[in-house]
Amino acid sequence: MFEEASEVFDNMFKSSFPLTFIVFIPAVLILVSPLPAEAAHEFTVYRMQQYDLQGQPYGTRNAILNTEARTVEAEVLSRRCVIMRLADFSYDQYQKALRQSAGAVVIILPKNMSAMPQDIVQQFMELEPEMLAMETIVPVYFAEEDDELLSIYTQTLTSSSSQSSLSAAEVLLHTATANGFQMVTSGAQSKAISDWAITSLEGRLTGVGGEDLPTIVVVAHYDTFGVAPWLSYGADSNGSGVSMLLELARLFSKLYTYKRTHAAYNLLFFVSGGGKFNYQGTKRWLEDNLDHTDSSLLQDNVAFVLCLDTLGNGDSLYLHVSKPPKEGTPQYSLLKELETVVASQHPEVKFSMVHKKINLADDMLAWEHERFGIRRLPAFTLSHLPSHRSAQRSSIMDVRSVSPSSRHGAGEPPAGPHVDVSKLSRNAKVVAEALARVIYNLTEKGASGDLQIFTEQMQVQEEHLSAVVDWLTAQPRAAQLVDKDSSVVSTLEYHLSRYLKDVKRHYVKADKRDPEFVFYDQLKQTMNAYRVKPAIFDLLLALCIAAYLGMMYLAIQNFGLLYSVVRRITQPKAKVH
Amino acid sequence: MTLFHFGNCFALAYFPYFITYKCSGLSEYNAFWKCVQAGATYLFVQLCKMLFLATFFPTWEGGAGAYDFVGEFMKSTVDLADLLGLHLVMSRNAGKGEYKIMVAAMGWATAELVMSRFLPLWVGARGIEFDWKYIQMSFDSNISLVHYIAMAAVVWMFTRYDLPKTFRLPVTVLLALCVYKAFLIELFVHVFMLGSWTVLLVKAILTGAVSLCSLFLFVSLVHSN
Repeated sequence: MFEEASEVFDNMFKSSFPLTFIVFIPAVLILVSPLPAEAAHEFTVYRMQQYDLQGQPYGTRNAILNTEARTVEAEVLSRRCVIMRLADFSYDQYQKALRQSAGAVVIILPKNMSAMPQDIVQQFMELEPEMLAMETIVPVYFAEEDDELLSIYTQTLTSSSSQSSLSAAEVLLHTATANGFQMVTSGAQSKAISDWAITSLEGRLTGVGGEDLPTIVVVAHYDTFGVAPWLSYGADSNGSGVSMLLELARLFSKLYTYKRTHAAYNLLFFVSGGGKFNYQGTKRWLEDNLDHTDSSLLQDNVAFVLCLDTLGNGDSLYLHVSKPPKEGTPQYSLLKELETVVASQHPEVKFSMVHKKINLADDMLAWEHERFGIRRLPAFTLSHLPSHRSAQRSSIMDVRSVSPSSRHGAGEPPAGPHVDVSKLSRNAKVVAEALARVIYNLTEKGASGDLQIFTEQMQVQEEHLSAVVDWLTAQPRAAQLVDKDSSVVSTLEYHLSRYLKDVKRHYVKADKRDPEFVFYDQLKQTMNAYRVKPAIFDLLLALCIAAYLGMMYLAIQNFGLLYSVVRRITQPKAKVH
Repeated sequence: MTLFHFGNCFALAYFPYFITYKCSGLSEYNAFWKCVQAGATYLFVQLCKMLFLATFFPTWEGGAGAYDFVGEFMKSTVDLADLLGLHLVMSRNAGKGEYKIMVAAMGWATAELVMSRFLPLWVGARGIEFDWKYIQMSFDSNISLVHYIAMAAVVWMFTRYDLPKTFRLPVTVLLALCVYKAFLIELFVHVFMLGSWTVLLVKAILTGAVSLCSLFLFVSLVHSN
């Protein structure tokens, strides 16, 4: 047959040249074509943070993956992708995986975070900063659980855990027939994003009564932080701060439209970016306003700066200061007014002042007011958290969690940090009342502590606060993800310009030679899980196919036998004669 | 080792054809080119069938679970063109009596193998992902070989002028079974919810039965003179 075939091909090549093209070129093209991918399961994974802050690298350095999957119970973890579920996550296992130089770690997060038990959520929140503090070459991914991923996990679990406890023959059989998974990420190695601009927004309400009015600055940072940037929604920290700032802007702009209530204070509102990265937005804004401009509200007469950070929950309020305010200063009067308002109108709230000196030797500043304190501007931060080290401020567990149970108020509150809108609006009212009392000098004029300004039409609107928090937590707002064209920034700009004048954007880009911050890309990738069989399986299959083909060969060779049998059966008459 | 897997499936699919070609003595008759011609006729017939189906049969929009029996039945009826094509090949091909069947069947089946199974194997079996369906596809091609040989034999018998009256009915029944085999298999799958390996087994049994019957008829026809 081959001679005939070669004859035919010879004729083809000699006589008709175009025909060879038609046959050859497609064949060659098909041979060298790249392989299309068809995976058992394709899912999105979010990579752990990767950034450099002040020259110090944090987080995972790698972004490419092409390894087999295992769970932690397996003995050999090196160069394998270790899959863990959040429910079974423990720091020891994580460290064990890293010590054995695993290829990657994938942590599966449950669909319904609010259904997780409290202690696991708490434990994970504590571990997040530790995971980030270790600089790992191993990429760490987070994936949201769905049925297929769960089945992949259980299959990998059974094959991994059975490796350790069987006899040799069983192990051999098992390896030959097991169903393994190969995890492959699409995308390139991560590299630094150059020219990333962190955006901040400012707006003002000018007071009445000539030049040189005292200025009150209200600041909140809008960005979020968590172990995975794409999963940090930051409901309480700092979605609550931003929504409270917008509500204060709305209320005071309403007061300032009427001549009778137009006060003699300038109000400057600043929504800063890069807050979780050591307040980069605020730092540069201060430098620009104090060093590089001739006249700015910040240079002349600043009464105080009030930073809002994590105010969406809790029954206590802490005013963090770096220097206790002296009597007679506007800061002191704010402190006093806050105490008065809380004592007379909201006695269930525990209010206190927390004094912490600025420690310039620390890598990261504690609160946003310290940036202002370094530039000798009187500032405080108001928060319901007693300490800046609280894990809640930088956790991916900080979500809005509008699961059905919490919406109808029937179930328990979600396990992690979250925003309780009623408490947020109560805190907003406290701040608004205290600010009003300072601006309008109410205590000196003899107003009692019970006097409530923000009632009826001037009420703090809970729906407004809730809507803003809902909108903010609908997308992740990590500083690496919000660029100057982002919808978060433009919507905030629009909202501020509804209430404030002179709304301006302010950009921060890292210095070229000595960058304060460097962000890396490839934070969200698609991972494919391919079902694979071990190599021995292919050999086994080849043996079986060879045996089958041998049988076929014998059958076809001896087809004549069958033919004669049939012939004998169909011709009995020939014998009977 | 995924190219290895492709090699496995390729061997499983192609070797029986190769063996059959060698052992049936076709190589002594210089039948290679005739097989290629039969393959070309296969392509032409498939093209005509596709055009016909596309023009006259509307796309069926129905529920996902229900099965359009009537529609699929009509579509399977179009497979009668396969029989016409085989008849055409056999009548045009010079060649001694019985070898016509083998030539036509080999060419037809090989063309079907190349057209409908090679590309999925190449694209799918070479990938990282493992799936049993490629091995099943290769087995299916073996079954198709037997099926086409039987079909060619039945068509040949049908067109013989010296076919005894008693044989007319069985031959017609076998012919109908050949044409509607695909439809029947689909029916089974749908009614009994069979798994993929079971389907293969059912196909093998059905084809085996049809081919055995046609072998009986063939032998009695050829040797009843």
